[in-house]
Amino acid sequence: MESGQPVFEAIGLTKKYEDETLALDHVSFSVRAGEIFAMLGGNGAGKTTTINLFLNFIEPTEGEARINGIASHKDPLTAKRNVAFVSENVMLYPNFTALQNLDYFSRLGGKTQYSKENYHAVLRRVGLQEEAHTKRLRGFSKGMRQKCGIAIAILKDAPAILLDEPTSGLDPQAGFEFIELLRSLRDDGKSILMSTHDIFRAKEVADVVGIMNRGKLIMQKHAAELAGHDLEELYMKYIAGHIRDAA
Amino acid sequence: MFRLLIEKELREIIGSTKFAVSFGVCSILILLAFYLGAANYLASVAQYNAARAENLRQLEGLTDWLAVRDYRIFLPPRPLTTLVSGIANDVGRTIEINGRGDLVAHDSRYGDEPIYAIFRFLDLDFVFQIVLSLFAIVFAYDSINGEKERGTLRLTFANAVPKAHYILAKLIGSYAALAVPLLIPLALGSLLLVVMGIPLSSNEWMRLGVIIATGIAYVGVFLTLSILLSSLTQRSSTSFLMLLVIWVMSVIIVPRGAVLLAGRAVSVPTIEENNAKKGKLNAQLWREDREAMTKFQPSSSSDPQRMASEFQKLMQEMADKRDARMKQLSDRLNEERTNAQQVQRGLAFGIARVSPAATFALATTALAGTSLDLEYLFRDAALAYQQAYAGFMFKKTGVNLSRGMIIMRTESGDPEKPKSINANELPVFTYSERGVSEVMQAVLPDIGLLLLYNVLFFAGAFVAFLRYDLR
Repeated sequence: MESGQPVFEAIGLTKKYEDETLALDHVSFSVRAGEIFAMLGGNGAGKTTTINLFLNFIEPTEGEARINGIASHKDPLTAKRNVAFVSENVMLYPNFTALQNLDYFSRLGGKTQYSKENYHAVLRRVGLQEEAHTKRLRGFSKGMRQKCGIAIAILKDAPAILLDEPTSGLDPQAGFEFIELLRSLRDDGKSILMSTHDIFRAKEVADVVGIMNRGKLIMQKHAAELAGHDLEELYMKYIAGHIRDAA
Repeated sequence: MFRLLIEKELREIIGSTKFAVSFGVCSILILLAFYLGAANYLASVAQYNAARAENLRQLEGLTDWLAVRDYRIFLPPRPLTTLVSGIANDVGRTIEINGRGDLVAHDSRYGDEPIYAIFRFLDLDFVFQIVLSLFAIVFAYDSINGEKERGTLRLTFANAVPKAHYILAKLIGSYAALAVPLLIPLALGSLLLVVMGIPLSSNEWMRLGVIIATGIAYVGVFLTLSILLSSLTQRSSTSFLMLLVIWVMSVIIVPRGAVLLAGRAVSVPTIEENNAKKGKLNAQLWREDREAMTKFQPSSSSDPQRMASEFQKLMQEMADKRDARMKQLSDRLNEERTNAQQVQRGLAFGIARVSPAATFALATTALAGTSLDLEYLFRDAALAYQQAYAGFMFKKTGVNLSRGMIIMRTESGDPEKPKSINANELPVFTYSERGVSEVMQAVLPDIGLLLLYNVLFFAGAFVAFLRYDLR
């Protein structure tokens, strides 16, 4: 993969359901290596639909969702080898310990070379307390499970990382640690596409911010363009403007 | 990848609390079923031997075979009967043999000890049919939609996992997680039979093996059905509720409903109805015979000896005719009843086989020799014995018991001290079960049906999962 080539690429991505609901309407964007793209938007804006299209959980009506140049709906298994995913509410297997969950999902992601020490190291990196490593996930808090989810994504060592509302429900400390972790992943050259409601954290960490509403990407700006702007104000302005236009 | 998915399935199930609880309960119940079965068998053998000894003791001191009364034959206990009781406790185990007349079995286990009839016995059939099928549901009702609810399905399929591999691994893993731990208490239970000195022939060991295999196939039906419904629904609570309804229908409603339906569709004359018809004919024949007796004209009224002889001859002829007509009616009524019963049973079992539980019960009772066949086989063996008994008595006494003659004997001269009869000379009653090949031939369609249910439900689950919404 040449540097600068997009890792995530949405090209005219459209999804219309059988009941004629237009969930996504010709959305196009790209995310390069070492870049974080934050999709902002309310419920039903199309953020999760976009992620589902990248993971081929649904097929596009039009357009393509590409990961590392591979269209997800055409060659889903190859596309998925290039992406790690962290969902909004990481549950994992409650009867497995943190280490067992890491081991299972790493091997599922094709990584069979890791030792127990590698798992401990990555759990330390994401900030999970040492004593929790060998405990079953049954009693873990949401923040702890989220850390395990991130650890799984790190272990997969894929060039692309998809995050669906990763900071929702996290306490401020956990949220801060999470942002720090994203920065370090970006510094490792990962391409990160995240959906979020959290305007504050999006501005803090994203290189590019996209605002989605009613299935459309209505704004896309780089961090530099956003400097000096109140993103919350901008968000409300764009959403209001889009609603007015639609009316 | 495939192996990893199976391993995960096994580890997830075996590491769960529900597995620990269900494995513990299953092990206790299975071992208990074997222990109680063995203990019951030993008690039945003791009871059987005591009854036989008492039967022979009653003949002690008799000097005339004609004085033998109330000679009985007994259904011998069989080890498998106590492991899968079927109708064994409902049918009479004793038949009184008189050399003629209808044979009636009495002294059923439940008749003797009605308390056991209330909740029935804890046997292997019960453990498989009720307990293990429920555990299969508990294991697998959320196998797919539960993963979706936990979010692990999305996470799994964010990796390069083919859906076909995943669902196949799910089935194999769930099956192995259920079947392998089941085999442990089953093997221990079989060992218990040996330790307790239960004499199982190789034939019976083979049948027991097939019973266990059939049980695993039956549990597999509920396992695959659970995976199917879990693949068809989005919420685990929905699939659990649906499975409970199906389980109740399969285990309780359908088998009983099938019998009721067949009972309404095909009427079988009751024994009382047949007895009434026989009684009516008997009364009519006696009336006719009485009239014939009143019209009796001896060839010579001056010779009383000759007159008595002619009267005796007339009586005998009338008795023969009466017996022949009674037998004719009895045979016809019995045949009609048996034929109607066959049709009714065929219909009832045909409908009931929609339920895997009924199919399983029909197969296992046939394998254990406790199906409805038991009653027929015992009756047929008793009929054969009755003939042998009548032949023996004829040889010993010159009296044909099957014709119901009345013998008048006169004694004269110096009575010689009579010798006691030797009861061991009586023919020995033997009860034989059907041969293995015959039984296997009879149960293969049921086992095949259970396997077909497995295949159909799994195929359904496979197709449903390929279309499953992973979001």
